[in-house]
Amino acid sequence: MWSKDKSLSLSRILVWVLFILIPVLCFCVPTMVHWYDIVYPEGVGLVEGSVYFPLSATLYVSAVFGEVCLYHLMKLLDNLKKEIVFVAENCGHLRIISWCCLLVAIPFTFMGFWRFLSFIVALAALFFGVILRVLKNVFDKAVILQEENDYTI
Amino acid sequence: MPIIVNLDVMMAKRKISSNELAKLIDITPANLSILKTGKAKAIRFSTLDKLCEVLQCQPADILEWREENAD
Repeated sequence: MWSKDKSLSLSRILVWVLFILIPVLCFCVPTMVHWYDIVYPEGVGLVEGSVYFPLSATLYVSAVFGEVCLYHLMKLLDNLKKEIVFVAENCGHLRIISWCCLLVAIPFTFMGFWRFLSFIVALAALFFGVILRVLKNVFDKAVILQEENDYTI
Repeated sequence: MPIIVNLDVMMAKRKISSNELAKLIDITPANLSILKTGKAKAIRFSTLDKLCEVLQCQPADILEWREENAD
């Protein structure tokens, strides 16, 4: 039977898998980008030519933000497992995750000059970052309410 | 906060210990400590009712309002 605990465990497993997968994929970036350059040599963008360097740089920078993001997701899930939900620490994790999403939009925006399609990825990252930021604000309020509830005798 | 909890004063007047009071008003000693030390954000009417009943006093004997920065 599917339960909330199993759902949490599945999230933790997925986060761990991604956390390990990203560094592994980083080793494959030169090959993947080289392949992409061969398969799609003529992309739509302002700057023409090979995307080998800009795409590699974008993916490496994003990987760093991705790892930071996943680390904080793990911490967040650890706290959820311990039933520690509405605490300032979790707000901090959400804040960092939100900033990571917002910052990932920067390299993808630059990449957009080579391939317009990257603007969509940048926009998606920006959108996700904003959603998480609002979620963090909700958590901030929830922490205050929780504290008030805890200290109401 | 300008609301001062004078619970310890009333407890001393009635010669009642924290553990005893906590048991009588049905709250944990930890929560009573929060109340005594002024860390509490709010107090339920039901708790206040029990406190007044056990200590035989008025709410004003336990809670006091003082103007902020009145020193």
